[in-house]
Amino acid sequence: MTQKEKGLPIANQIRRLRFEHGEMTQSELAEKIGMTRQTIAAIEAGKYSPSLEAAFRIAHVFGAKLDEVFQWED
Amino acid sequence: MSFREKSAWITVVTVLACFGVYFGAIATGNVSGRGLETLHLLLLCVVGLVVLRMALNLIVTLTTPKDGRAPKDEREMLIQWRSHTLGYYVLVVLALGLFVPVHMGHTALDMANFALLDVVVATLVVAVAQIAMFRRGA
Repeated sequence: MTQKEKGLPIANQIRRLRFEHGEMTQSELAEKIGMTRQTIAAIEAGKYSPSLEAAFRIAHVFGAKLDEVFQWED
Repeated sequence: MSFREKSAWITVVTVLACFGVYFGAIATGNVSGRGLETLHLLLLCVVGLVVLRMALNLIVTLTTPKDGRAPKDEREMLIQWRSHTLGYYVLVVLALGLFVPVHMGHTALDMANFALLDVVVATLVVAVAQIAMFRRGA
């Protein structure tokens, strides 16, 4: 099921990027960007769209560009 | 379950328990709904609510100290804002509904109890909305 089918038109690669970065846990990512683990889980599952600032913070943790982490699904 | 969701559950449980006793006693006629007896029961219920909430929040904070200290993140603030907005509208509608018992000849103490019930219902709506939004994602 795509993110769009889940309700939000924004897909993300957070799960893949976490595993590519030493199998980083949701809690570790949450701590790095000052969020709760539940919020990271909601973003990953496409249930919550983060603010632009939070999206940049997430991308910064992975050393990736914003569009490598989040993609708009038409 | 996040710390804030647990906190919302604590609100639901404690408000239902304490004000359930108060309004239950009035509805069943165990207290008259008038006079000092009612006031004393209300004070007892409010004190019980505060003590129960503090105890449960302390338990939750001690079991998950890191979550308890962490500031609200943007999703939690959004959930708080949405739930309080909903609670505000519920409170406004219920407050307007207070005109009904006025015309039915209720006493000032009855009206105070109706107003208190409005606040209790709005509080429950806020907490239940928070739980629903936490469960749903946002």
